[in-house]
Amino acid sequence: MRRLKIAEKMRNLMAGYYMLGHNAKVRAWVTSGAPVEILYAMDVYPVYPENHGALIGAAKLGSHYSDFAEKRGFSRDLCSYARCDIGCVFAGTSPVGGLPRPSFLFACNNICNTVVKWYEVLSRIFKVPLFVLDMPFIRKELKDSHLRYVEDQLLDFIKFVEKITGTQMDDSKLKEVGTKSVEAVKLYGDCLRMAKNKPSPMTCFDAFINMAPIVCLRGTDYAVSFYKDMKEELEDRVKNGISAIENEKFRLLWDNIPVWYRLRWFSEFFESKNACLVADTYTNAWTGFSEIRSSDLISSLAEVYTVSYLNIGIERMAEIINWLIEFYEVDGVVMHSNRSCKPYSFGQYEIQKKLSVPSVIIEADMVDERAFSEAQIATRLEAFLEML
Amino acid sequence: MKVGYFCTFTPKELIHSAGFLPFRVFATRKPISLASAYIQSYACSQARGALEVAMSDEFHGFVFTRSCDTLMRLTDILEFLGKRVYNIEFPTKIGNVDYYVQELRDFCKALESWGGEISFERVMESLELYRELEEKLTKLFEICADYETAIKVQQTEVRDAIKLVEKKIAEAKKENAPKILLTGSVCPYPEIYEIFRNAGFAIKDDLCTGRRFFEFRRPNFEPHDLNSALRFLAEKYFAKAPCPTKHYSNDYRFEYLLKLAEDCAAVVFLLVKFCEPHFFDFPQLKEKLEEMGKKVALIELEFPVASTEQIRTRVEALREVIE
Repeated sequence: MRRLKIAEKMRNLMAGYYMLGHNAKVRAWVTSGAPVEILYAMDVYPVYPENHGALIGAAKLGSHYSDFAEKRGFSRDLCSYARCDIGCVFAGTSPVGGLPRPSFLFACNNICNTVVKWYEVLSRIFKVPLFVLDMPFIRKELKDSHLRYVEDQLLDFIKFVEKITGTQMDDSKLKEVGTKSVEAVKLYGDCLRMAKNKPSPMTCFDAFINMAPIVCLRGTDYAVSFYKDMKEELEDRVKNGISAIENEKFRLLWDNIPVWYRLRWFSEFFESKNACLVADTYTNAWTGFSEIRSSDLISSLAEVYTVSYLNIGIERMAEIINWLIEFYEVDGVVMHSNRSCKPYSFGQYEIQKKLSVPSVIIEADMVDERAFSEAQIATRLEAFLEML
Repeated sequence: MKVGYFCTFTPKELIHSAGFLPFRVFATRKPISLASAYIQSYACSQARGALEVAMSDEFHGFVFTRSCDTLMRLTDILEFLGKRVYNIEFPTKIGNVDYYVQELRDFCKALESWGGEISFERVMESLELYRELEEKLTKLFEICADYETAIKVQQTEVRDAIKLVEKKIAEAKKENAPKILLTGSVCPYPEIYEIFRNAGFAIKDDLCTGRRFFEFRRPNFEPHDLNSALRFLAEKYFAKAPCPTKHYSNDYRFEYLLKLAEDCAAVVFLLVKFCEPHFFDFPQLKEKLEEMGKKVALIELEFPVASTEQIRTRVEALREVIE
């Protein structure tokens, strides 16, 4: 596989991001789908335990750190991001030397209710305040009452942060951060959409590896400049006819969080079968945040963040996947049934029956390598690709 | 007509007042087979078992309340199977009553579209009936925790349920044994509770098949119209025995549980495998309970329970430790 050069820049950028955290005055541990714009606008440094979990998975240290939590009584059936993150707190270290201690915690349940429980645990360990941003689940239509409920909480949250930091929210700064966030998300979306080219200049593995800035640095100049560069590299590839894999015969779509400790194994496996995973539902989830309007920031933050990909019914999820199938012209879908992520995985059996192309389900876990059965997964995937 | 529900936060009063029979769906003794084609094996066996039951044609519809992620997706799955479903967005964060009153208003409309009738008088009548049932269950449990009855009333018309509980109160005998606190989600098998009783414990609980079904703090006002009746209902359910799927200020659930455990000799976490909300709370609660000097044990359940022998051995060992 021809890896993107930008990955090197990403590593440096993220190393810098982690370093910055240790010097920050006020730090919040925050969930991946929370409106981080408010934090950046109020000079609060956001720490992302989920990103940390992914990093631990990619370093193949999932079971190692999980063990620290399991020894304290946390069940192995709990989400592995949570288990590893809590494990690192008990271990007092991690591949990045542990996350800096939070001043407060900010959990938004638009991705799962697991984060509420996880952050409650953290709040008891660190003895710091926790703000839960409660998003109604939008199974069908988004009601005005739901929006009002979220808007009220966003205003409460601003007051909550003002009390902790002792400084008032500056509306013009929030606007500025919002504008940067939209700009980064648009550029990020442009990057992902480059995979529409045939052959594709990138795989979803490139998207996975390079997603950290859109998660952690959304709302800053860093994310804008990073995705500008990534877009340029991809445009160059298209211009010069450079494809991500040698011989793209099949185009596939990945569903669910990646199997972080097996990224290389999967990418080599698919390349050896001339299959290119051109896109995925996970990294696409962040493209929806481009609809933020600076004219009415709070209500548009409420709207955009409430209808995030995991906070909608499976009917709507299947529509989105079918749209991705059509846009990227894929021949099949590989669905990761992820033991750690119930809202992402339950419903896959039903979604599968609503898709316009064939699909296969493989069972594993995003971070815990003990839940990975190589022979079984390889056989399933081989049979699927043969059928295609 | 039966309307199935899964969670004790469901406003049964409204379902009942609309002219339906609110019927709590539990995993049964039947092995889970059909459901396996629709949900993964790492969903808890209460969800898988309930799905198995829900796949039959005996229900007019199903009502869900936002509680755990699994139930949230079970709504989608049942709809996919062609069932009539409705989910009430019960807030995860307990606090905003106005928001929940609006959710209940929307639910009333859904019940009407299902063929039900909603009126102030009927809602008040159902509120009154359930108040009576809850008070009688509280009285019964003060004498002797009777889980067979507590489970049965969740699947019985409320007027018949009241009569059943009255009969049980008349027959009940006060238990004089060291108390044990059972905490967890559901355990729809009466024989499991008998194991504790046979080992010489009197049972106190924090379960959806026990206290969490009937313990409420009632608001201090009399509803005068439908709107205020819905507000009454919202406040009643906000002030219900707490559940780990909800987020309370000041860690209210921990405080509640530690208080509940005060007069108990031991605490048993009776947890259904894969139940995230309970398993997240377990380690830190256990630590606090042990600091209080309580003996703590964890028993993991999977439905249908294949053998009660292992559980019996664990419970008897616990009894010996306490002696």
